[in-house]
Amino acid sequence: MSEQLKRIVYTAAVFISLLLAWEYATTNGYLKPYRFPAPSQIAKGFVELSVVGFPRGLTIWVHVQTTVERIAQGYIAAILLAIPLGFLIGRVPILEKLTNPLIVFGRSIATLSLLPLVIVWFGTGELTKVILIAYGCFWTMISNVIAGVKYVDKGLINAARVFGVKGAALYWTVILPAALPRIFAGARMALGVGFMVIVGAEMIGTIEGLGALIMEARTFYRSEVTIVGMLIIGVIGFLISSGLARMEKVLVPWDTGLEDVRR
Amino acid sequence: MSSRISLSDILWGLTGTLAVVLIWEFAARSGVINAAIFPSPTLAIESAFEKLDRVDVIQHIGWSLYRVLVGFLLGALAGIIIGIAAGWYKFASFLFLPLIELFRPIPPLAWIPLAIIWFGLGEPSKFFIIFLGAFFPVVTAAYRGVISVDPVLLRAAQTFGLKGVGLLMKVAIPGAAPDLATGIRIAWGLSFGVLVAAELIAADKGLGYMIMHARQLGNVDVIVVGILLIGALNLITDGIIVWMIRKWIGRWHGE
Amino acid sequence: MTNFETNAQSAYIEFRNVGKRFGSQDNGFIVLEDINIGIKRNEFVSIVGRSGCGKTTLLNIAAGLVAASSGETVIAGKKVDGPGQGQGVVFQQHALFPWLTAAGNIEFGCRSSNLSKAEKKQLVHQLLELIGLAHAANSYPRELSGGMQQRVAIARALAMDPEILVMDEPFGALDELTRIELQDELLRIWEVKKKTVLFVTHSINEALVLSDRIIVLAPHPLGVHMDIEVTLPRPRDRTTPQFNALYKQIWEGLSS
Repeated sequence: MSEQLKRIVYTAAVFISLLLAWEYATTNGYLKPYRFPAPSQIAKGFVELSVVGFPRGLTIWVHVQTTVERIAQGYIAAILLAIPLGFLIGRVPILEKLTNPLIVFGRSIATLSLLPLVIVWFGTGELTKVILIAYGCFWTMISNVIAGVKYVDKGLINAARVFGVKGAALYWTVILPAALPRIFAGARMALGVGFMVIVGAEMIGTIEGLGALIMEARTFYRSEVTIVGMLIIGVIGFLISSGLARMEKVLVPWDTGLEDVRR
Repeated sequence: MSSRISLSDILWGLTGTLAVVLIWEFAARSGVINAAIFPSPTLAIESAFEKLDRVDVIQHIGWSLYRVLVGFLLGALAGIIIGIAAGWYKFASFLFLPLIELFRPIPPLAWIPLAIIWFGLGEPSKFFIIFLGAFFPVVTAAYRGVISVDPVLLRAAQTFGLKGVGLLMKVAIPGAAPDLATGIRIAWGLSFGVLVAAELIAADKGLGYMIMHARQLGNVDVIVVGILLIGALNLITDGIIVWMIRKWIGRWHGE
Repeated sequence: MTNFETNAQSAYIEFRNVGKRFGSQDNGFIVLEDINIGIKRNEFVSIVGRSGCGKTTLLNIAAGLVAASSGETVIAGKKVDGPGQGQGVVFQQHALFPWLTAAGNIEFGCRSSNLSKAEKKQLVHQLLELIGLAHAANSYPRELSGGMQQRVAIARALAMDPEILVMDEPFGALDELTRIELQDELLRIWEVKKKTVLFVTHSINEALVLSDRIIVLAPHPLGVHMDIEVTLPRPRDRTTPQFNALYKQIWEGLSS
């Protein structure tokens, strides 16, 4: 058996035996169904969620759409702001020195600790959630853009200057490509932050969105709905970050080893 | 690249910070921004001092630190053991890697409802959420660290007759230490973020509760001070972790 | 020392029909085939050859790090079936443990010996003196220069009191001046410690300065291409006609 096939078989075996043991334990009363709803119950919960919805009328697809829209708005706003600012700060040493402690502190502020303040300012509506996501993503993103731009290999810059490249052309030909791997690493980390923040933010003051769904389900003792929601959150997060990874492969084909920077 | 921070860097940093604080102060005092919903730093600190009982605040800090420490230590310990095992032993990688890959994309905060179902509203559910926040970065780092140990070092050790557990303890684990250190630092930051969220949603003490409670009372100044306090605490503890990491591996690993 | 060299046939290290193939029987490629070499005790033997002729593989087989596909290797009458059986190894990239100090690395070398703690400490100190780095005992590898790192690596290999010393292009990554310095140093240590050395190098010059015997491996056809005794007196002058004549002979052997 080839190494890869072995891995797939073992992985499948691990999952299937765990699911079977779980199902068995719940249906035979070893585990409380409320605490550990059986896999079959979770599957039923998924069907109910996608047809009837929870609360009634809000299907899982509505929740997914709401959450993804919120993340997308905050995330894109943060990226659009962080990239130009990061380039500026990274290329101007004085600016970098002036802003360094602010950036370190801004990053240290736990994003969700801003929740009460932002609620006071903007209420519990959409804007609050988008702002929180944007805040969290922004600091992660800008630190990575600055680092990427700042630590561009001097040898590369000199090599380009030898060929008469200067000014704005230097940015397009050397600095941007050299900083791209780091920028992508930042984009992926920021996405992780965004997901984290949205789940927390949706737990307060709304009934729409995946974070609200899993919290609501708990208050109605529907733990299988909570688990479906969690799994969907995981799947979306996984899909988007794979999408980013694929985009990175296309845009930065020369990058080999920034895997380490991730999380 | 030297990591030493020069005096002039500090002065520049202070200047930048001071400028922002002054602009903020000036804007709030002159009425450009409404001081009732975004108070100036001096006003916020002043009135927060009046409204907050100092013993209370220290207790909130104590509770928050206690929670984050317990959850973090449990998570980091589990992450180290499982990550190293998965990196070194094939059967452990077959067993753990799929599970880790399955659960990693689920943000720790999404576990809050389930944690309440399983552990109730008390401390264990908070420990559990923070545990998850610390576990995933550490387990990933430990695994990566072990599988990327320089094979030449493993061979060198083999020439001195080292194998099995000895090889793991004497070479693979020290070799993984730099990756592990990075993972631990990330884990601490994440634990902290998770902590605040957990306290916002379900707690009756701790800094997260303090600011959420202040919102209900409409004390914006307390919220602002609380946010700054949480940020400062995060920054200070992160500094301590960096210092400990430097003591641990700084001399041989650099930085 | 009772070292009877009368029986020249019984070699100290012996490669008997050693062969190595990577990959499967029909889809792999052969790196070594039917290698037969005998090396006498305390002999300093260099192996030279172009990249890809299997020098390093042969060395790894002697060190026990790689298993041969056929044939056997015998050191001091014992068949090699793994590392750590009395083969001290010095790698091209020093391979020092970055988390141990110079002294710690050397001590690692005698970890499986029966010495007491105090004896180990003394041995480490002696070796540090031998390589002239007593002052750097508590430095970490990254704090040492390339030449110093390689000295520590040699001392570490010596600490296990090996039967043989296996060296894989140990000076390949060093600059020319440091390399010459370390070559002299290695000869001095070899005179003191009396070890059998198996030394792989890319440099004909280096092989000529150091060795009693030079073995040239060739890829086409695979195997030992030349086996030359070097009888020039030590220390060797790199500029004499005899030295140059040997250089030319080996160079032509490699080029043919």
